[in-house]
Amino acid sequence: MTTESVTTKAGSTIRIAPGVLAGIGAFAAVGIYVLVSSLGLGLWTSLGPGAGLFPFAMGALLVAMSAVWLLQELRRPSARGEGVDKGVVISVVASLVILASVMDLLGFQLSMFAFLLYHLKIRGHRAWVPSLIIALAGSVGAFYAFNYGLNVALPVSSLAPLNLIGL
Amino acid sequence: METLNELLGGFATAMTWQNLIFAFLGCLLGTIIGVLPGVGPVAGVALLIPITLNLDPAGSIIMLCAIFYGTQYGGTITSVLLNTPGEASSAITTIDGYAMTKIGRAGAALTLAAVGSFIGGTIATVGLVAAAKPLGEMGLLVGPPEFFALMVVGISLLVALAGKSLVKAVISGALGLLISMVGIDPVAGAPRFTFGIDNLLDGVSFVAVIVGVFGLSEILSFRRNDVTPIVHAPGFRQLFPSRTEWRRSAPSMARGTGVGFGLGLIPGMTGSVSSLLSYAAEKKFSRFRHELGKGAVEGVAGPETANNAHANAALIPLFTLGIPASPTIAVLMGAFLQQGLTPGPSLFTEHSDIAWAIIASLFIGNVILLLLNVPLVGLWTSILRVPTPILTAVILLFMVIGAYTINFSVFDVYVMVGFGLLGLALRNLDIPLAPMVLTLVLGPLMERSLRESLEISQGDFSVFLSRPISAVLIAVGLLILCSPLLKIRKPKALTEDPEA
Repeated sequence: MTTESVTTKAGSTIRIAPGVLAGIGAFAAVGIYVLVSSLGLGLWTSLGPGAGLFPFAMGALLVAMSAVWLLQELRRPSARGEGVDKGVVISVVASLVILASVMDLLGFQLSMFAFLLYHLKIRGHRAWVPSLIIALAGSVGAFYAFNYGLNVALPVSSLAPLNLIGL
Repeated sequence: METLNELLGGFATAMTWQNLIFAFLGCLLGTIIGVLPGVGPVAGVALLIPITLNLDPAGSIIMLCAIFYGTQYGGTITSVLLNTPGEASSAITTIDGYAMTKIGRAGAALTLAAVGSFIGGTIATVGLVAAAKPLGEMGLLVGPPEFFALMVVGISLLVALAGKSLVKAVISGALGLLISMVGIDPVAGAPRFTFGIDNLLDGVSFVAVIVGVFGLSEILSFRRNDVTPIVHAPGFRQLFPSRTEWRRSAPSMARGTGVGFGLGLIPGMTGSVSSLLSYAAEKKFSRFRHELGKGAVEGVAGPETANNAHANAALIPLFTLGIPASPTIAVLMGAFLQQGLTPGPSLFTEHSDIAWAIIASLFIGNVILLLLNVPLVGLWTSILRVPTPILTAVILLFMVIGAYTINFSVFDVYVMVGFGLLGLALRNLDIPLAPMVLTLVLGPLMERSLRESLEISQGDFSVFLSRPISAVLIAVGLLILCSPLLKIRKPKALTEDPEA
């Protein structure tokens, strides 16, 4: 079973990689959305250009370029890249999303400590001692360096018990 | 004389102990970023903007500029010792730099690269001093239509020169412009593309977008089996080039300075184009061209001088016209704007003291980098021995802090993650990232000048063609964009520019 999209053109079979096709479709969809939204913002007012004029032009450009790209792909499909390591993408993205979602609740120090420990010990398979040292320096150390050294406030926990002990 | 006095005033500000520390820290961090394969100068500078947020404007920009040209120095170290460029503009140095390492001349290669970088950077800064006043005064004559036309030329150049496909470059540029339009419309005051999210009313955080698109997407591109390289740093005695090597390098450094300075003035030309064309110049003009590729000093001295001359010369369009010539300069421009400084002709009238302090700091930074790079090469190479998982974790830590501290909101961390995924998709689709950064910075300025022009002319679009300067600039911009249709081929080096 093939994983490629197949388009027939004048008796020849042209294969466009599904990722490329999805990309072209996504850009065209964004362009169309911007075109429609821009009309609602107003292209022209009594004072001159409206809020929608510039985005309208960009939306039109995006749609037009997507169409040209599709035609180019139909003529000569581009070579497929190496792809991505899905494991790396999922673990990094998921850990960042979890970190962002708990940072205000648990505070920077605790959430960053867990985040770093995950990346060093579980994902990176580093030894316990260096993992703990780096995680502590990156969480507690960074918190104090930024808060007191650079006057850049990092979040503290919104939970009273944690807040009371300085986390 | 007036310029000299202002420059001396700039030195007085730049040489306060606080600003010297900022310049030193910037050089240090820039070199580390340059050494690290995986974090380019664009993401590196963006990543460190939050550290400078609470500094005074002069100190902040001095540090960020030092980070910027520090990356140019740092990139050389991995090119020479590991055959892996730390950043794109040092890619060509791998050919002869690594060949010199194999024949035991790594130390000489690193010293010549550092000295060449110092010479190129310093001469380009002298050019900036000479050009700042006259170009700045000329810039004051530019009205909204000319400013719009100027930006059309800048964006056209970057789009036309970026990557292999004009269509993909235009898509990247259009995306950047659309992202820059998110938020409250500056004229009508109506929200645009905010999807009802209050955090988007002030627009998408520039730093979060850049860190996501350039930095996070790079980390997401890592592979599980990426291994830590083995590096052997040259000893102190090996750092001194022989008399012959010095003599052979001098003409290459002169040619590199010329190539880098000239190309640095043109928007869209990245540092890697300068180093590639400098190498091409060596192949054509060097007396020892037959040795290139086998460990010739010319192949290191020329390109390394060129990319630093380029980096400093690229600041000239930014300081005098407010046009960023490369993605990294666009990020620097974003930092200027965040500090309430508008790069361009008004910078020298409204914030003359800061502008000259920054220019003076470029001279100081070049000296610091020369002193830092050559004797401490062992220290820099030890960074390369840090295992990839530790490096990744530390970089992610700084990314999160960087994104969070812009607005002190976790929303920007989500924005960074979202744009990291977008960056990964763009990389996989072979869409260049450089036009997006440039249009992201220039978008609001471009839209404002377009709307001001049309309001002045009461909606008459011919205002762009009836004024001679804007008419010529618009024609040039269109010609650049239409060049593929006219079968004007761009040099092979430009189509393969990894920085674009």
